[in-house]
Amino acid sequence: MRNSQVKKPKRLAVTALVLALVASACSSGSTAEGTSGGQTTAADSGDDTSELVNSDIETCDGKIDKDVTIALAAHSGDDAYAQTVDDFNAGPGKELGVTVELVNLGEESYEDFITGAAASNSLPEIIDMDGPFLYNFAWNGFVQPLGNCVSQEKVDEFLPSVIGQGTYEGELYSLGSFDSGMGLWAKKSDLEKVDARIPESSADAWSAEEFTTILKDLETSGVSAPLDIQWSYGAGEFRPYAFASIVQSGGGDLIDRDGYQTADGFLNSQGAVDALTTFQSWVNDGLVDLEAIDDNNFINEDASFSWVGHWKYNDYKEALGEDLILVPLPDFGAGSKTGMGSWNWAMSSAVEDPDAVWAFIDFATQAEQVKSIAAFEGAVPSLLSVLEEDPSFSPGGDRYLYVRNLQASPEVAVPRPQTAAYGFIRNEYSDVFADIVGGADVEETLNQAVENIDADIESNEGYRPAE
Amino acid sequence: MMFTAVFMVGPFLYAVYLSFTNRKLLSPLPTRWVGFENYIDVLTSSDFWAALKNNFVFSVVTVPLQTGLALALAVLVNQKLRGSTFFRTTYFIPITFSLSAASIIWSVLLNPSGLFNTVLEIVTFGQFTPDWLNDPRYTMAAVIIVSIWASVGFQMVILLAALQGVSQDLYQAASVDGANAWEKFRHVTLPGIRHQLFFTLTVTIVLSFRLFDQVYILPPKPGGPIDATNTIMVEMIQASGNNQIGKASSIAVLFFLIVLFLTIFFRRFEPKDY
Repeated sequence: MRNSQVKKPKRLAVTALVLALVASACSSGSTAEGTSGGQTTAADSGDDTSELVNSDIETCDGKIDKDVTIALAAHSGDDAYAQTVDDFNAGPGKELGVTVELVNLGEESYEDFITGAAASNSLPEIIDMDGPFLYNFAWNGFVQPLGNCVSQEKVDEFLPSVIGQGTYEGELYSLGSFDSGMGLWAKKSDLEKVDARIPESSADAWSAEEFTTILKDLETSGVSAPLDIQWSYGAGEFRPYAFASIVQSGGGDLIDRDGYQTADGFLNSQGAVDALTTFQSWVNDGLVDLEAIDDNNFINEDASFSWVGHWKYNDYKEALGEDLILVPLPDFGAGSKTGMGSWNWAMSSAVEDPDAVWAFIDFATQAEQVKSIAAFEGAVPSLLSVLEEDPSFSPGGDRYLYVRNLQASPEVAVPRPQTAAYGFIRNEYSDVFADIVGGADVEETLNQAVENIDADIESNEGYRPAE
Repeated sequence: MMFTAVFMVGPFLYAVYLSFTNRKLLSPLPTRWVGFENYIDVLTSSDFWAALKNNFVFSVVTVPLQTGLALALAVLVNQKLRGSTFFRTTYFIPITFSLSAASIIWSVLLNPSGLFNTVLEIVTFGQFTPDWLNDPRYTMAAVIIVSIWASVGFQMVILLAALQGVSQDLYQAASVDGANAWEKFRHVTLPGIRHQLFFTLTVTIVLSFRLFDQVYILPPKPGGPIDATNTIMVEMIQASGNNQIGKASSIAVLFFLIVLFLTIFFRRFEPKDY
């Protein structure tokens, strides 16, 4: 305040600063592009023969050049992950000269950490990301296709949903140790109380009208707000993950999947409007529990249904035992649909030796590791062989419906849109869904969302993959 | 000074530059100069004006209410009574909380069957128990309640210090002249603290425009439900969260101009010394 005599130097400093910032802005623009192409080593791919997935992209050259330490940016540092890394380092890693270092970034801000790392050119070698992050990461060149690292034989061991989720622009970028299961947990005793038919598979899911009747009957029988939808999870990935299926089951979608250039006629299609209007009517009629402060109302309070993913299974099973059943989400006209996808492994573009990274991804997606990671997450193991061994995921098992839905992907378990625009679409749909639950006019809200999504796609020049 | 230049003026000028580009946070596409496109986008979007309106509603209600309450509390805890230190501390404690953490606690308290409504139910004989956070009609009110709770202590402390700076001689003189309590307050206290009062008013206005943490965390979605508590800060954060750095920068520049204008405007009412 008092040193007005230093005005001049200050002005100079500011000018210099602005120049520096502008200069750095220009240069950072160009380096960001530089990182993307990089690492595909053009060495002879030699020995491998059979029909490889995208074998034309020679990501791996079949040999590890020298001892390396690679960073794994994980979303969790819990036992199963730490164990997998330890086992790798002590086993195949030791033989190959590869050491993996686990860096736990947590789930909440994972995407921000990776974008931040990319902006400062310090990407970790292995990225363990939630399914739909992939497409934007791939568009930005943060990750590279697995190319010839992975054999067709290996690909065939996975649930089709996992491969679908890992594919962007026809290239396989990632593999997961597990997939997610989404459905409606119900109390068998409550359903029997109101004489409700219990659907066995998505094909004979309750129609929306049938489900409305069941909800109303339950309410009449004394259950207040019978449908718990985990409103306490708040804005974020859960809403598009769990509730985009309403739009899809109504015959719409979040976006036109042919080219991913517009949401018009999809997110605001008549089917989508009708389906969401039906859902809104449940809220208006007090059939939906919006007051839950956590995700345990299904077991602590009297809710009859819980619209939630696989991760609540262990808690629910412990509390309800044999009374717990899994039923498909209601059919709003175009068949019962469900969300899918979860955390999966990919190779960043900042990799010196892709073979070393692949050695770890390959290890983390083998039966033993898949078994322990999926069990820890309470999720659906990604390998068909592991699924067959687990009675809970086999015919007659508690969670068999998950497997059937995932095997019927993308018809029943619908992957989130495989476009770099997904981040924006997710935020928009999360908002829209909250507004609709809050009582907003459905058609108007969806039209506005379509307008916003289309504007974003346009301002990103169609999110077309860079050459 | 150097510090101010590097960490405040510099980034601001950079934001001005960015606001004229189509810069994304990260994108393989090159950054282009787009002139006033971002500004036109923002100023023609109904969301921006709705957010600005919410900002004004919040300020118009909060500023007088909060300042008045702060003054009342300051006068109360300024009494030479037993326990006044306890009350001073109690009213000031919320200031030491992180607003985002407090918002999470409040979201539980404001649950339709939470503590807040349980008390209301008793007081109003069950006549008034709104769903504060999910019903768009009440959410702004809830935000105002939380905001006042969270920051009234700050104004109170400034005003308390001001009150203690008013000479006791003046009160004694007033008593000699036969002034009652209200007259003393009106003609001794208020003039004595007018500078600090003006300061708190200005600061409250500016801070109230920065409304963010509460409206980001309390409602079912940031600025919700249905944009009932959307503010310019939320608009800005959401634009940058959506990768649109250019657009977010243009909102930041507009926001700066609005607050600058308000500050200059209120400066005209600054009390002069006679």
